[in-house]
Amino acid sequence: MRMTALQDKSFDTLYYYCQHESGLRIYVYPFKGFRSTYAVIGTKFGSVNASFIHNGQKVTVPDGTAHYLEHKLFESEEGDAFTQYARTGAAANAYTSFDTTCYLFSCTERFDESLGILFDLIQSPYFTPETVAKEQGIIGQEIKMYDDSPDWRVTMNLLQAMYQNHPINKDIAGTVETIAEITPEILYECYNSYYNLHNMVLCVAGKADPEEVLAIADQKLKPNEPVQTESLFPEEPYEVGQTYIEQALPVSMPMMALGFKEQAGKEYASDKDLVCTSILLEAFAGSASPLYRELLDSKLINSTFGTEYMEGLGYRAVIFEGETTDPEKLAEVLKEAVRRLHKDGISEEAFDNARRCLYGRMARSRDIPSSVATNMINGAFLGRDPFAASVMLQTVTAADVNERLKQQLDPDNCTLSVIKEIEGLIET
Amino acid sequence: MEGLIRREICEGVTFNSIVDDRFKIGRLSVTLLVPLSRSTAAANVLLSCVLTRSCKAYPDMTSLNRRLNELYGAALYAVVRRIGEFQAVTIAASGLEDCYALNGESVSSELAELLCGILFEPKLTDGHFDDEDVEQERRQLLEDIDAEYNEKRVYAVNRCIEKMCRDELFSIGRYGTREDVVSLTHEQLMAAWKNLLEKAKIEIYMQGRGEPDKVFERFRSFFGNTPRKISGSTKIVTEVKEVQHFVETDEITQSKLVMGYRCAYPATKREVIAATLMSAILGGTPTSKLFTNVREKQSLCYYCASRFDSEKALLMIDSGVETGNIQKAEEAIIEQVELLQKGRITEEEMVAAQLAVKSAYISALDSLLSVQAFYLQSILREEPLSPEEAAEMVGTITKEEIVRIAASLQLDTVYSLVGNE
Repeated sequence: MRMTALQDKSFDTLYYYCQHESGLRIYVYPFKGFRSTYAVIGTKFGSVNASFIHNGQKVTVPDGTAHYLEHKLFESEEGDAFTQYARTGAAANAYTSFDTTCYLFSCTERFDESLGILFDLIQSPYFTPETVAKEQGIIGQEIKMYDDSPDWRVTMNLLQAMYQNHPINKDIAGTVETIAEITPEILYECYNSYYNLHNMVLCVAGKADPEEVLAIADQKLKPNEPVQTESLFPEEPYEVGQTYIEQALPVSMPMMALGFKEQAGKEYASDKDLVCTSILLEAFAGSASPLYRELLDSKLINSTFGTEYMEGLGYRAVIFEGETTDPEKLAEVLKEAVRRLHKDGISEEAFDNARRCLYGRMARSRDIPSSVATNMINGAFLGRDPFAASVMLQTVTAADVNERLKQQLDPDNCTLSVIKEIEGLIET
Repeated sequence: MEGLIRREICEGVTFNSIVDDRFKIGRLSVTLLVPLSRSTAAANVLLSCVLTRSCKAYPDMTSLNRRLNELYGAALYAVVRRIGEFQAVTIAASGLEDCYALNGESVSSELAELLCGILFEPKLTDGHFDDEDVEQERRQLLEDIDAEYNEKRVYAVNRCIEKMCRDELFSIGRYGTREDVVSLTHEQLMAAWKNLLEKAKIEIYMQGRGEPDKVFERFRSFFGNTPRKISGSTKIVTEVKEVQHFVETDEITQSKLVMGYRCAYPATKREVIAATLMSAILGGTPTSKLFTNVREKQSLCYYCASRFDSEKALLMIDSGVETGNIQKAEEAIIEQVELLQKGRITEEEMVAAQLAVKSAYISALDSLLSVQAFYLQSILREEPLSPEEAAEMVGTITKEEIVRIAASLQLDTVYSLVGNE
C-alpha cells in the first residue's frame, strides 16, 4: 500500500496519509460501519492573501478575490459542477475563510464519480469576461445578506477596529465596489499562484477506502510543477487600532464582541499554546465557571455568550461575544475579571474540570466525518499532526496554562464592538 | 448498528433502543408530546429550561455544569419542537461511551441517573420550582424569543406562518407567546410538569453501547402504572378562498419573500416520501426548479428554496431578493410551481431529487441525533418510519404520485419583508 497508516492515538484509530505523485497531500480517515462519506479539498488561499509574490512578481488583487474565485471555479467549459453532482447524488458546497478556500461534498454512493468531479473542478479553471461579470449580481446579493447579519457584522467590525494594517480587517467577500474590479486575468493569476496541487490537501472521512481514493487520484490528477508563492503581510503593531466601534442594525437587543489582541508574528501558535488557550477559556468563562455564573446572575449575558480564539499568520485574539442589554457594562466586568485572572491564575481544580470537558468535546468531534476531515485539513495546511491536540491535552499542566496566560488577555489592549438596536422599528 | 427495538412500558409510553457501537458518544432522551395549546405552550417551554438548569442532587446551575464537565463534557439539554399541532418537549443527555472514559467511570449510567433526576426529582422549595431558577430562565427565554427577529431569513418564514395560520393552533409557534412567558406563575409551571409526566405521550430513546435493560427498568418504575392517551389532531386546511398578501418593512439591505402553500395531507408513508421528493424537485437542491430558474437563469434572488412540513401539510418557499425584484420573483416562483403541477418534471430533475433525498435519509443513519430526530418526525403516526425504509421507498415513487400531491398545492399567503434600496 502506498499510503502510510498513522494513529489517532487518543482514540486508538488508524488513518492514512500520502503525498500523491501529483503533489497533492491526501488524508483518509475511515469510520467503521458508516454509510456516508465527506470529502474536502482545499488550498491555503483566503481573503487575507490579497498580496503575494508569484514567479518573482509582486501581485495585489482586489478584496474578495479568493471568495470570487471559489464561486467561479464551480463553472467549467462543460457546465457547472452542481449539475454534475446532481447526477451522483452528492451534496456539494464550498467556503472561503480568512486563510483557506475549501471545496467539499458528502455522499452515500457513487463516491468515485463525485471525487472525480471534485478533482476536475479544481483543475479546470474557466473564466471569461462574461462569466465573471455574471457572478457580480449573485455575490453582491450574498454581501448584502451578510450586511444584514448582526452575528457577522459584530465580528467583522471588531476585526476592522482591532487591526490597523493586517488584511484580516477586511470582509471575506469584499465589497460591491472591490469585486467590480475583478477580471478573468486576476482570477487566473490567483489560480496559478495558489491552486497548485503541491499547495493543496484532500481529506476524506467516513465510509472510505484509502486504496480507492488513491486509484481515483491516479486517474484524475494531472502532474504539477511546484510553484513558489509567498503571501505578503504588512507590519501590524501590537496596539489595537480603535478601542470601540458600533453599528446600528434591526436587532431585538444589543450584541457585543470584546476582542483581546495579542502579539502575533510570522508563525502560527503551537499545538501546546492552542490547547492551553482552550483550557484557559473553558476554565475562565465556560458554563461551570464562577464568572459565567456571575454574568448570568447580573443579567448581562444569556445562552448566546461564548468565547473564541482566532489565530493565523499575523493575527491572534481572544474574543468574547454574545447578546447583552448593556455592552459597555459587560465589557467592563469582563476586563475586571481578566485582571483578577492575571493575579490569581487558574486553579488546579478548574484546570482539571475544563480538561475533562475538552476531552469529551474532542471525542464528540470524532463521531462526525465532516469535523474530522476539517480538523485534518487545517492541521495539514500547517504541516502538523492533525490529532496532536488530544494527546497534548493529557500532558499539559495548570502551570503551563498559567504561563500561557501571561501572553494573552491584555486588558489594556482590547476593542469593544457593539451592534445597537435601531430605535422604534418593530411594529409587532 | 442493530435496528430499533420498541418496548411498551404502558399505554402511551414507549422505550426505544438502538444498540450501536460505532460512536464515541451515546445518547438518551425522553420526548414528551402534548397537543399544542395557547394556555400551556409557554409553560412547557419555560419548564424545560428550568428542569435542565438544576435538580435535587445538583441544586445549583454551576454545580450541575461542573458535574457535566466531570463526566467528560456531557451534554444535558432541552429542545422543544412543533410537530403538526402538537408540542414535543425533549430532554436529552449525551456523553462519552464508557470504554473511552479515562479512569474507568461508567459515564452512561451516571448520565442516565442525572437525566432521571432532572425529570423526576427537580429542585423544589415549598412545593414549587426555585424562584431564582425560574426568573433567570424566564429572562433568557424572553431574550431567545426576541432574538428570533435577528436572523431575518428565519424571522420572515415565521412571520408568514403566523399570518397564514392565524386562526389555527399552528400559529402559536414552538415557544408560545412573549406575554404568556411574562405572566407564567409557579402554579402553571407545576401543573405543566405534572401534566407532561402524567398525560403526555412519551417516547424514550436510548442509543449507543449501553445496556438498555437496566435503563428500561428504571423508566418502568416511574411510568409503569400511568397509562395515557393524548387527544387532539392537527387541523389541515385545504381550501384557500383568496391569496393574501402581507408586506412589512425593515432596515435591511436584502428583502425577504416568503410564499406559503397549502397541500393535501400525506396520509401514507408513500405520500410523505412523494411530497418530500416534490419539494426537492421544486426547491430542495442546487439543481431544483427554483434554484436553476429563479436564481441562476433569471438572477432574481440569492437563495430560493422550499421546505415541506408533512404534519401540517404546508409547503413554504423562501427567498432573499432585491427589493425591486420582489414582484418578478413572486411571478417566477408561481410559474415554477405551476410547471410542477402540470407534471413538467424532466428525467434529470427526477433522478437528482431521488438521489439527494435518498442520500439525506441514509446519511441520517450516521448520527444518533439525526436518527432520533427522524423518528420523532413520524411520532404522530401509527407506525414509525425508519430512515432505511424511507431510503428504499424513494426509488419506487413514480412521477404520477409526485404530481398528484403537487396538484393539491394552493398558494395561501405571500409575505414580504421589504428593506431600503
